[in-house]
Amino acid sequence: MAFDLVVNGSTHRVDADPQTPLLWVIRDHVGLTGTKFSCGIGQCGACTVHLDGRAVRSCSIPAATAIGKPVVTIEGVSPDGTHPIQLAWKEFDAPQCGYCQSGMIMSALALLRERPHPTDADIDARVTNACRCGTYYRVRKAIHLAADLMGK
Amino acid sequence: MNTDVTRREFLATVAAAQGSFVLGFWMPVKAHAQTRTPASAPAGTVWYEEPATPEVNAWIVVAPDDTVTVRIAQTELGQGVWTSNAMMVCEELQCDWTKVRPQYASANRDAREKAPAWTLAVPGNGATDPKGGGVPTFGTRDRTGVAGIPDSLYRRMRTNAASSVKDGRYYLQLAGAEARERLLLAAADLWSVPVAELTARNSIITHARSGRTVTYGRVAHRAAQIPHPHPETIAIKPPDQWTLMGTEQKNLDVPLKVTGQTVYGIDVRLPGMKWAAVKACPVYGGDVARFDFDAVRDMPGVRSAVQFPIPDPALTRGRIFSGGVAVIADSWYQARTAIDRMPIEWDVPPEHAAVNTAMMRDGLLAAIDQPGQVRVNQGDVDAGFVRAAKIVEATYSTPYLARARMEPGNATVLVTDDRVDIWIGDQSPQETRFSASTITGIPEQNVYIHLCHLGGGFGRNGNGPQAEHAIMIANAHRGTPIHMLWTREQDFIGTTYRAMGLARLRAGLDAEGWPIALDVRTCMQRDGFGPEASFDVTSRYHVPSYRYSSHTTRFHVPVGTRRGVGQAAHEFYRESFMDELARAAGRDPYLYRRELLARTNLPYKADMIKALDMAAEMSGWGTPLPRGTARAIALEERGAEAEGLATISAMVHTVSVSRAGKVRLERVDVAHDTGFGLVNPLSVKKQIEGQVVWFYNDAMHQATTIADGHVVENNFDTFPLSRIGENPPEINIRFFSTGHWLMGMGHDRATSVQAAIGDAIYQITGKRFRDLPYGNHDLTWS
Repeated sequence: MAFDLVVNGSTHRVDADPQTPLLWVIRDHVGLTGTKFSCGIGQCGACTVHLDGRAVRSCSIPAATAIGKPVVTIEGVSPDGTHPIQLAWKEFDAPQCGYCQSGMIMSALALLRERPHPTDADIDARVTNACRCGTYYRVRKAIHLAADLMGK
Repeated sequence: MNTDVTRREFLATVAAAQGSFVLGFWMPVKAHAQTRTPASAPAGTVWYEEPATPEVNAWIVVAPDDTVTVRIAQTELGQGVWTSNAMMVCEELQCDWTKVRPQYASANRDAREKAPAWTLAVPGNGATDPKGGGVPTFGTRDRTGVAGIPDSLYRRMRTNAASSVKDGRYYLQLAGAEARERLLLAAADLWSVPVAELTARNSIITHARSGRTVTYGRVAHRAAQIPHPHPETIAIKPPDQWTLMGTEQKNLDVPLKVTGQTVYGIDVRLPGMKWAAVKACPVYGGDVARFDFDAVRDMPGVRSAVQFPIPDPALTRGRIFSGGVAVIADSWYQARTAIDRMPIEWDVPPEHAAVNTAMMRDGLLAAIDQPGQVRVNQGDVDAGFVRAAKIVEATYSTPYLARARMEPGNATVLVTDDRVDIWIGDQSPQETRFSASTITGIPEQNVYIHLCHLGGGFGRNGNGPQAEHAIMIANAHRGTPIHMLWTREQDFIGTTYRAMGLARLRAGLDAEGWPIALDVRTCMQRDGFGPEASFDVTSRYHVPSYRYSSHTTRFHVPVGTRRGVGQAAHEFYRESFMDELARAAGRDPYLYRRELLARTNLPYKADMIKALDMAAEMSGWGTPLPRGTARAIALEERGAEAEGLATISAMVHTVSVSRAGKVRLERVDVAHDTGFGLVNPLSVKKQIEGQVVWFYNDAMHQATTIADGHVVENNFDTFPLSRIGENPPEINIRFFSTGHWLMGMGHDRATSVQAAIGDAIYQITGKRFRDLPYGNHDLTWS
């Protein structure tokens, strides 16, 4: 069954079972691979995208849920890697292997849109993505810097 | 089937796929000699490609626009090798760092070509000569690539043992220097001037006398034709002359990692590619009894199913995994959905199915009481115990542990009648090349491995048969590219584990509380990499009589190299016991360690004492803390107990425990050895910060248990990973220089977290826990 999804501002005609998790539709039908598969059970957050402006774990929601709602992936954050959150991430050289970082950035960005100057407690509560390399120390600094840059 | 036609069709498909995310560099073997550039490579492309401009040497290509391509023979998995390897080359090349583009080296060329003779002899005097090459180790020749291939083109393509800088520094610097000298010779040839009158800087060669300049890009083609007459005379720069090495450089792969453009193995897409989902028998050593493909054959997208045997142990370092079955479909989600619904019956060895963790622990406890292999026996340990004023004994344990890298195992494989292509993130492509050849019968010279960045490694990319699974499946589908992707649950099964371990330490103390006899027994299952790490060299802390024996038993769970191998467990045993001895002696754990180091004659004892002193000072050791908060200190050293390379650090961990039993690592103060110099101090800091998290998880949360012969924890709901909220808000790192080359940074850093949290819990709650993880225990207090 075919349906339309709006991803990063473009409409994509998707020929897939609408119950397919949004993650796999984004990766294999829309063809955007920056959003990652890791646990498949909504635990780790590597698959985090924005659905209607909210951070969601796309491995655990059917694509049908996204019909008629805008989806934003890491590729939609900026065309050239110059969004303040990306600049902040680069400033602290935050990623190591990088596999979780798309999801980490999407979670942090959703937080920053809601709370432009998050406290550490806000970050702890909302950026619950898992990183096996242990980049958290730099990620926290990068979120605070991104808040400063976005406020300017 | 005429595979040449298949290839032409394949390439035509590639050409038609311009602009979409499809790889277009695949070359038919008969066209190998011609140069090709990628037709539609995505932004994150990292694969080896035949250069448009002839290479200067096997590591370096300079394009006419001065872009420098540096071939990287290790795999970027977050440790920064993409950047540090390039820095080592470019330190000598004297090129414009802003125009450097790393690219993976070709494992295929590595099978065809020998290392240049000038890279083979390492000058200098081992670990302590600042002008020398250090102590690279390549192992003995081993065609499986496990121990190393010391004379192949890139020699060591493994990414393991924290050794990329240690083993690569000499010949990477030399490769840069050789290329620089040949670029200078080319300019001298161009201008007919003596080469000695030329200087090179920032990719520009200058002839000061005539005022002429030329860029590297303009003479690279000529340099490629001019061999150096005496490459053996080229010397590398010692650390006091470094200008790029030793500076903090942001990692070259980071810009693509914040935009989602990095291509990991899981992101590989090929024309005509099909997807495979896999289920292997959950009990190691088990196999498929039967499966019913007919039950899922008609599901959407489903194409075929294939059974594969237990991977040949000769390809998996002797480890016995399981047989399994794969379903192939148009998309992975279709394949996965089908295999989940497909009836599969397993043939499980009953002796394996009867095993559980409690039995294994009993097995280790029994083995540790049996006579083991006595590896050290100094003084008279038994007499020491007779004389002792006090005897302290403790038994510690560490569980099986998974690596749990974020990217599940995957590989994309295309087998045709005379060639294998593999797209994979792999810590050991030489081993994978051997596996591909063995499974398909196609010679290694016709195996092409296109390395991808890895979403975490922590030990041969899982140390399991992901490549072997994918090759077996693709070999049954010759002509069709197969992308095999493990589920998270399969990834937990398809890996080796850090072996479960046990240690019993017994010390006799004199009336002053100083140890006069120490008996250490450790026990791990056979093949548990590094089960005797460092205890077999010395006790580290001074004791006149010391005996160490290692004990083993056999279990069916495959074990292998997980970050830190056996050493991480041993550091937990040793440093925990030192805290217990200090408490038994009524002495300060920092000063107790310091005195016992001072009494040794260890080669780097001054550096170890310096590390302790610096970490204690940084942390405010001895200053008051609120109730419920405590500091603990521990030493970390790798290699320093022998006369050789070393990495030395000490850390103080400030830990709080709430009355409800919630542990928080509040602050970490790190004093860390730089040796003669760090290549990229920024990467080193990141390695330290990351390993604080790694060992925090080992200490607090993670354990793999076995029930009915299979692994119980097979996803992150049961094998937890800490999140940002548990991370220490303060990590202070201070470096100090020492007179030796470093052993490595990728593991055995921050092992101190394990013992330190234990001692802090003891200080706060009065309870001493010796079985990791601490999270399994009641940590409440009142």
